Amino acid sequence: MNRDTLKKLVTDWQVALVLVLVAASLIGIYLAPPAFQNGIEGNLQFGLDLEGGSWLQLEFQSAIVGFTTDRPMNEVIPELEQQLDTQVLLIDENTVEIQKLYTRAELEPVFAAAGAQIVSYQQGVSQETADTVKRTLEEKVNSLGTMDAKINVLTPTGSDYPQYVRVELAGVDMATAQEIVGKQGVFEIRIQTTGNESVHVVYGDAISSVSPPSRESMNGAWGVPFTLNDAGAEAFRQAALTYGAVDNPEAHHLVMLLDGEEVFNGALNPSLANQLRSQPVRSLQATTGTGEEGLEDAKSLEIHLRAGALPVGVQIVGSGSVPAALGEQFKTMSILAGLLALVAVGVVVYYRYREPFIVVPMLAINLAEIIILLGIARYIQQLDLAAIAGLIAVLGTGIDQLVIITDEVLHEGRVPSPNLYMKRYGRALGIIAVAASTMFIAMLPLALMDLSTLRGFAIITILGVVIGVLVTRPAYGKIIMAILSK
Amino acid sequence: MEIVRYDINRYSPGQMVVLPLVLLLIAGMVLAASTFMTGTPVELGIDFAGGTAVTVFTPDSVAEIEAYFADYPLLSIDESVNNGKYIKFGPMEDDQFRALSEAVVDRYPNAGIDQIGETFGKTLQQQALLALIFSFIGMSIVVFIAFRSAVPSIAVVLSAFSDIAITAAAMSILGMPLSLGTTAALLMLIGYSVDSDILLTSRVLKRKGKLAEKLGGAFRTGFIMTTTTLSALVAMWVVAVAGQVQIIAAIASVLIIGLVIDLMNTWLLNAGIIKWYVQKGGNR
Repeated sequence: MNRDTLKKLVTDWQVALVLVLVAASLIGIYLAPPAFQNGIEGNLQFGLDLEGGSWLQLEFQSAIVGFTTDRPMNEVIPELEQQLDTQVLLIDENTVEIQKLYTRAELEPVFAAAGAQIVSYQQGVSQETADTVKRTLEEKVNSLGTMDAKINVLTPTGSDYPQYVRVELAGVDMATAQEIVGKQGVFEIRIQTTGNESVHVVYGDAISSVSPPSRESMNGAWGVPFTLNDAGAEAFRQAALTYGAVDNPEAHHLVMLLDGEEVFNGALNPSLANQLRSQPVRSLQATTGTGEEGLEDAKSLEIHLRAGALPVGVQIVGSGSVPAALGEQFKTMSILAGLLALVAVGVVVYYRYREPFIVVPMLAINLAEIIILLGIARYIQQLDLAAIAGLIAVLGTGIDQLVIITDEVLHEGRVPSPNLYMKRYGRALGIIAVAASTMFIAMLPLALMDLSTLRGFAIITILGVVIGVLVTRPAYGKIIMAILSK
Repeated sequence: MEIVRYDINRYSPGQMVVLPLVLLLIAGMVLAASTFMTGTPVELGIDFAGGTAVTVFTPDSVAEIEAYFADYPLLSIDESVNNGKYIKFGPMEDDQFRALSEAVVDRYPNAGIDQIGETFGKTLQQQALLALIFSFIGMSIVVFIAFRSAVPSIAVVLSAFSDIAITAAAMSILGMPLSLGTTAALLMLIGYSVDSDILLTSRVLKRKGKLAEKLGGAFRTGFIMTTTTLSALVAMWVVAVAGQVQIIAAIASVLIIGLVIDLMNTWLLNAGIIKWYVQKGGNR
């Protein structure tokens, strides 16, 4: 190969594109930001099974029920709540979330007694509740310092509502992971006496239920409604009377603490103060303010009021852990498997063509494909073991298609005239485009399904096929042509 | 390539399709028999049936491990080179699982543990089945769009279906469990299998020239394609087995079986149908 050929090659846009993408990928993996301390891994992200850590898959013990009734909602729902002994939230016109897991058969008579008829039943929670669970778990994990955690709410394909939440904690063993997820904080309500002093009123165990943020009709301020049990309501009234909060609310704020940190500080509402003079009040609302900010604060406060308890019960339905040492070993093995696969492919291809001018570009293009794939994956997909299997499978299909191109354009090892070459080259690209589309379609369901732990596998395979068919494989055709026509 | 003695042009279409069709029939019977005896066509792994798997490197013998875990529903212990062990337990209650995970960590601090609950396993089963059905339908649509002609499309779809059915039967006979990993491998097989089928069909239908030459040329290309892929997979399989990387080993072994079966289905079944189709003048 002489200088002219090389120049012609580099100026071909398809070949140039490959070179640019390989360079960009290497920069992304190793230089932006610099990651020399990580050795060959650079900025690539690895999954739990290669990094070490634990995962828990939790199932919501809750049901979403659609129903019809002739009675007003504000009569039906309290009846249901009482009968079912749990919170029942209206999530749209005629659908409720029942925050305890009952089967449809168990619910039918209860709804019938309340004058309602069930029309649909699904296990799961509303999107809002799922968000609260996610935020609560994130808060718990964050309170333990910087930890690499991923918390994802999952909806099975075919269902309309989230049913699972998956928690992944890097560098933590399973016992610790279970402890973190199950951990509850100490919540306390205190009342201000004089200056910055305050005294204890009740602990979190006096709170019998917490509802999602709601808006006050009067001034549009957001707040979190919650109820106290009888003992708690009595203690609350006594404290308000004793320390003068009833007479002078502004001077005697209520303070809420979670694990010793202040999470709420506000005055008693005047009408509530009046009510407290005569009797204990169980239903309270902690107001956080108006607008977006008020809502955000209310959402946080809701989580704090629960003191880390999730709004719905959860059950561990799957879990796993990989110690860092085992993960490290898996990583070494994966790299070894990839290299060996590349060598094996090289040997077979050489045996078939016996022509370094074909074999070297073939392997180089294959390697380029994998580098570009990793360069993109670094931003969108962490590599787990399944994804690495996908990577090696892509190497296999990649070589397949390079073989198709080679055999299509060459006749007895010679390159035909440019016109004929381009015609055959087009035909080869046609074949690989169809083959790539089927691979793409075959993997698409796995890539889209929330529940599969094989998303990585599917996404890497799809990416590989797309890069191959759009970028690297066409470039290979040009390289072969330039080299062999000499 | 001299090692391949198969001459694709020597046999009539009828002779070519006999072997794959007979194997497909046998596969159907194996899967039916297995369903009848065990309730599922292929043995379900812990991903789908529920249970716990422990990956560990230990010099302890199988008998020692069995004795240590005598209180738990131990199903099997697979051994690999350099002391790797893969220990499987059936589904158990939450408390028992907690006790088991403590027992594992006590004795084998570097063990990897994976656990799936029984009902969650059922959900995963349904999801995997959905994925398989969607993939297959999607693949069929692409093939029909690409060829816009019934017989060649049906030949491709039939041979992909046969690949999956015979591979599943082989898994059933060899006792390889169906897991998330092996389901992914079966899906991937859909993609791989269609590769060589499309090469064959495009070469035969869209090129000019003698049928025998086109078939022979397609076979040479297709055979080298599949063998290179196989070599990559065998390399992956060897390393995964040696390093006790269960999920990669499972994906690789199913793909290897599947690709060998695909060689047969592409170059006997699909090639047979295409040959018959062209000879009877369907190409015009």
